[in-house]
Amino acid sequence: MEQFSIPLVVLLLIVFYGGTFWISLRISKKQENADGYMTAGNNIGFGISAASMTATWIWASSMYASATSGYTYGISGPIHYGLWGALMILFIYPFGKRIRTVAPKAHTLAEVMHARHGASSQLLLAGSNVVGSLISLMSNFLAGGLLIALLSPFNFVQGVFIVALGVLLYSLWSGFRASVLTDFVQVAAMLGAVAIIVPFIFFAAGFPAAFETGAGNLTAHQSNFFSSEAFLQQGAPYIAAVLAYAIGNQTIAQRLFAVREDLIKPTFITATVGYGAMVIGVGMLGVLALYLGIEPLDGDTNNIVPQMASSYLPIILLVLFFVMIIGALSSTADSDLAALSSIVMADIYGQNIAGKENANPRTMLLIGRITMVLATAAAIALASLQLDILDLLVFVGALWGALVFPVIASFYWDKVTNAAFTTSVVLALAAFIPIRFAWISMDGVTGIIVDLLNVVGIGVVLGLMAFGFFGRRVALGVGGVAALASAPFVIGFLHDYATLSGSLVAYAVSTIVCFAMSVNSRSEFDFALIRQRTGDFDEADPDDDPVLSAKGGN
Amino acid sequence: MELSTILLTAYVLVWPLVVAIVLGVIGKAFFSEWAEARRSGRDLI
Repeated sequence: MEQFSIPLVVLLLIVFYGGTFWISLRISKKQENADGYMTAGNNIGFGISAASMTATWIWASSMYASATSGYTYGISGPIHYGLWGALMILFIYPFGKRIRTVAPKAHTLAEVMHARHGASSQLLLAGSNVVGSLISLMSNFLAGGLLIALLSPFNFVQGVFIVALGVLLYSLWSGFRASVLTDFVQVAAMLGAVAIIVPFIFFAAGFPAAFETGAGNLTAHQSNFFSSEAFLQQGAPYIAAVLAYAIGNQTIAQRLFAVREDLIKPTFITATVGYGAMVIGVGMLGVLALYLGIEPLDGDTNNIVPQMASSYLPIILLVLFFVMIIGALSSTADSDLAALSSIVMADIYGQNIAGKENANPRTMLLIGRITMVLATAAAIALASLQLDILDLLVFVGALWGALVFPVIASFYWDKVTNAAFTTSVVLALAAFIPIRFAWISMDGVTGIIVDLLNVVGIGVVLGLMAFGFFGRRVALGVGGVAALASAPFVIGFLHDYATLSGSLVAYAVSTIVCFAMSVNSRSEFDFALIRQRTGDFDEADPDDDPVLSAKGGN
Repeated sequence: MELSTILLTAYVLVWPLVVAIVLGVIGKAFFSEWAEARRSGRDLI
């Protein structure tokens, strides 16, 4: 594979990380504001927020995995990866609007759970957010290390350190503000690169003629757009995870609280389209590789995208490709750092150690910055283990399924209590783990019970999706019909698919338990209390005042 | 050229086209917000 020389790769990294550091310096303030460090004042415009949401959701692994899906499952593969990933953004937006209505000035979703229920619910959600962000951070450092090792004379460990320190450099001082502003530059580089690189490789590799000469390289499943194998192996587990990822991922919640409230809808829709087109577009490189009969280097399908780029792009476009991948992983890594620091600042220090009224914004900022440094060190250490990232993510995504119904119900139903939330999540996790890891035999009655829960899980997932857009009555109809229609195909069959089954059981158990414990509850929670219990930690900052700021506040 | 080849070509190349459109939408919004912030003396973020 073609490699860059050391001077060239050093120059590229200096330009990329030096440029993003320069941008962060331009917006840095001597005295940063704790709320700005977490949510940038809850007033970001459409351009920056849409760019940031898109950049954050696109990471290096999503491009590699989409191409892997195209290479493995054929022409429908990238759709079964990218479309469902994109819908994760779309389906959370109606819930996002509700969340912003009841908690307009919050910083994290877990902080809102503290206001709604108390510490145990908050810490369950915050804990799952921390695990997810740490895995994501690690995987982005890992992808950076692999890319640098593949395309330059530097080795993997050197690559991991370069990426980790580069991201930390520009994120540390201004936190979320630096993250979202640099996201615009990164997303422009990423989207621009895909718009050029994919058509270039397409024609350079001999397409469209290669569709005819290479058709024999595809199996019947791979050449069928409606392949059931692609749906069951790739698409269905992602549909189940659509809401779970969005609920469990603090990077999404953080942008939800940062964007101006009236711009939530266009921001989420634009990010949905941008993410979907970009990831599916890169995934098409896997389909092209399949038609060309290309074998992945070392048998690792993660090498397909770099291989295609290295084989068909001239050096100038290969440089663009390198910037695209570095931009993708850096934009997600800086968002993970900002998410982790916010959770520790708002949820651990702000709500549980100091308390909302006594929290010192200066101490919070210090804690946020220390968190970024420690998280970077932890992610570097974990990256050196070179774990299977996609396996970890699918595991965490399914795990988050346990949280979806209790979290969403807590924003709409006044009867949900802290006990119902906590018990339902813990029991769902207890049911999920043995099924996901096949610790119990699925023979006989156990398999049937699991399949009945799978049927409920399907109803819950589709019902919740409908609920966000159309309300309770339509949701009950959609959920009921989906459960009944799927039952004949699911019972006696689906328990063999451990990943999907574990996720659906987590949805089902948490929903059944939460509903059963809440339906006769005498609790009548007043949602107006959430607005009072969440909000700014800082006093009004002169820098945030347009008049004072124009007079030299910054 | 066969119809299936034309459809596959369109299927592969439509995504970069959509990406370019999204980039245009985001870029236009970003620069208009930047100009507006400069005009009113506010920080962009």
